[in-house]
Amino acid sequence: LNDLLERASQLSDKLHSLSTSLTNDLDSHFPPVGRVMMPRPSMCHTSSLQIPNDKDQALKVPEDELLSLARSLLLAWSDPLALLSSEASSLAHPERNTIDSKTKELQDNINSLGAGLEHVVHKMGSSSDNLSSLPFYSNSLGQDKTSRLVNFHFLLSCFRRDSHKIDSFLKVLRCRAAKKRPEMC
Amino acid sequence: VSPPGKPRLTSCRSPEKETFTCWWEPGDDGGLPTTYALYYRLEHSETVNECPDYRTAGENSCFFNKNDTSLWVNYNITVVATNALGKNISDPVEVDVVYIVQPKSPENVTAVVVHEDQGPFVKVLWEKPRTADTRSGWITLLYQLRVKQEKDKEWVEYDAGRQKYYNVFSLHPGKYMVQVRCKPDHGFWSEWTKTTYIKMPDYL
Ligand code: NA
Ligand code: NA
Ligand code: NA
Repeated sequence: LNDLLERASQLSDKLHSLSTSLTNDLDSHFPPVGRVMMPRPSMCHTSSLQIPNDKDQALKVPEDELLSLARSLLLAWSDPLALLSSEASSLAHPERNTIDSKTKELQDNINSLGAGLEHVVHKMGSSSDNLSSLPFYSNSLGQDKTSRLVNFHFLLSCFRRDSHKIDSFLKVLRCRAAKKRPEMC
Repeated sequence: VSPPGKPRLTSCRSPEKETFTCWWEPGDDGGLPTTYALYYRLEHSETVNECPDYRTAGENSCFFNKNDTSLWVNYNITVVATNALGKNISDPVEVDVVYIVQPKSPENVTAVVVHEDQGPFVKVLWEKPRTADTRSGWITLLYQLRVKQEKDKEWVEYDAGRQKYYNVFSLHPGKYMVQVRCKPDHGFWSEWTKTTYIKMPDYL
């Protein structure tokens, strides 16, 4: 379990770093009007999920629930990341090739992490498997090139925040599992 | 005399992902007694709150304790300067606490020479900053050390990862300076520690 969670944390760390790097790529050339058009973070499709938002709350959550939260968030990003991945190469942005390859990398990484967390669930022998459903009802980023760029950026900023949550929860789980090796925490 | 100049929010930092502090630079006071107030609004709320604690973090600062600190939510922050002739408001700053984490420096850095068959090496050990709760996994810290002789211009840096020790091999005889710093997985480097000295002996 130690090794599984170590590997999972490395992947979630990578996911968050990649999403930060992608955000910087997008920001390098982003129209000012885009910032005005950007929806508020409360519009993210995952914002209804109740999550612990500080240390005291997070450390009170049982391990299987913390794992379910991370998996629910990950699952919720499967469809939107597929959409981003299919749209990246046609973005009206000079860095579209870099953005495209990093978006594909994000997609590969969430698939690996999802598979890895399945193993963790089995290893932990979690009885409850109550994943929250956070449906994503869109199959297009918009009609014109500015809307597509803005919605791409918006979804990415939602993902960036969620990937930080996933990473934080998995690292708490990693340290709980590593009680015999406290030197790593 | 005149209304106050525009104050400027200079930075917000959290040392441990549990609390945070924002600092501002007052503008011109217009030659009159001027007071400063910090206001904040959370992204999902319309309510404007005033700074909960102007004292703990010293002059021109606002401290947010655990109860006033939430992660993964933007704080929209402004500072208002007021004197008898009027007010002036800073440009707003948006912060999510997860992106402003900068730990305190590591503590109790020690360096010892370890003698082995292949020759001596220097083992550097340290502790995490006291305020950072790495044990629970709430914050993850990565460490770096740097080493040089006093006469050298350039430091040589080594990444220690999450370990709180590092063995430095192939140092020449002489007196060395050692410093350590840490950064969270996603955030800013701490300051370097004060220098720890270690004398590397002659081999023979
Ligand atoms: Na203060
Ligand atoms: Na709190
Ligand atoms: Na650590």
